[in-house]
This record gives sequence, C-alpha cells and structure tokens, in this order.
Amino acid sequence: MSTNGNRARPVYINLLQIKLPASAISSITHRLAGIYIFFITLPLSLFLLYFTTKSNNNFMLISDLFKDSILLSTFVSFSFLVFAYHILTGVRHLLQDMHIGESLQASRVSSYIVFFLWFALVATAVWRIYL
Amino acid sequence: MTGSTLFYAQRLSAIFLLGYTIWLSSFFLLHQPLEYDAWSQFTDQIIFSVLTSAFAFIVVIHSFIGLWTIGTDYFTSRTLGFLSPAIGKYADTIRGAYSLLFILWGCLVVFIIFFIIWS
Repeated sequence: MSTNGNRARPVYINLLQIKLPASAISSITHRLAGIYIFFITLPLSLFLLYFTTKSNNNFMLISDLFKDSILLSTFVSFSFLVFAYHILTGVRHLLQDMHIGESLQASRVSSYIVFFLWFALVATAVWRIYL
Repeated sequence: MTGSTLFYAQRLSAIFLLGYTIWLSSFFLLHQPLEYDAWSQFTDQIIFSVLTSAFAFIVVIHSFIGLWTIGTDYFTSRTLGFLSPAIGKYADTIRGAYSLLFILWGCLVVFIIFFIIWS
C-alpha cells in the first residue's frame, strides 16, 4: 500500500503544475498546429486555389487584395507558417519513429533545431511582407 | 482497427503529404514572382488533378487519426475536470461532438477539393 495514504490524491491532471521540456513543447505545438491547419489553413488554401485558377482576373484580384491589405497578407502568411511548423516538427517525429535521434539529448537538440529553422522562416516572411 | 494500423497509416500518409508539399513548394520557389500563366498551366496538368485528389483523401485520413488522438488524450474527464468538474462529467459528450465536427468538416473538405479540381 501507499505510504502517503493520508495525503489527498489528485483526481484531475493539474495542467499548470506540469513543466514541459523543449521536446514536449515541440510535440504539443505540433498538435495545436495540426488543429489550426485542419480548420483554417486547409480551407484557406482551397479558397485560394479556387480563385487563383478560375481566371486571370480573379488571380489579379487576389494578388491585389494581398498588396492592399496588410491584415489579410499577415493572416495568410501566418497560416502557412503554422503549416511549415507542422511539417518541420513532423519530419522530426518521422525521423524519431525511424529510431533516428531518439536519445534524450538528441531529442532536445533537434527540438531547438526545429525552433531555429522555423524562426528563420518567420524572419524571412516578415522581411518579405513588411520590409 | 488496431493501434499499429493507425500508427502506420498516420506515418505513411505523412510521407505522402510531405512529398506533395515539397513538390508544390518547389513550383512556387521556381516561379517567383508567381504569374497566372505558369500557375494555371501547372494546375491544368493531369498529374496535379490526380495528386491533389489523392491529397484530399490522404490529408483527411491523416487529420482524422491526429484529431482522434488529441480527443482521446485531452477531452477526457481527467483533463476537462481540471477546468471544472462539471465540464469533466460531460467529457464523453464533448468528445463525441468534437469528433462529429471534424468528421463532417473532413468530408466537406474532400467534397470541395473534388469540386475545384474536376469541375
């Protein structure tokens, strides 16, 4: 039997008491990004595919819309950056499934590599849109 | 379906989606700035229609497995109960509604992709 039987045992998981290592952060944000992609990036891509292939006029309309509205171009860029993040962390997970970089140390290092690559992509996007 | 089937379906679909993404991204990278003629020529190819149709089914399978995993991991009475025990009691109903939502959404996505590609 448990030696601390008198102590109140937790019934629910206290999410605020859990401290996540870098690899867990990369894993949970991979999931969050997945939800975002399924409900936002995917329908957005279909909208863009439909209108940009419809006719030259529609194509120009969409591209003018991006030039005029900083809000819209920010939203679209953000949506595709989230997708890029899901791909980067996903490749990391696939490599680990193939038993590459499974150790605690390697897993921490690869999380930081993924974060770094993604921030580089974000910086490139910011550079191209705003500067 | 067994767990290992779902596991492999998730990973194999991921590899297809990765390949498709690299293919599409390399088109965009090679055609900067993007113009209508190049883009419509690319999307008019039969290979684009075929691969995008395959993409429709595979992305939905991949998403269903992922979203189902998230639902069974987080939308349980233990985790929702952390927010409030009253919500925790309805965990199964909440998870059911969430599953219904993503299944309907996924079917709609497949339908719309086929509409865009083949109409």
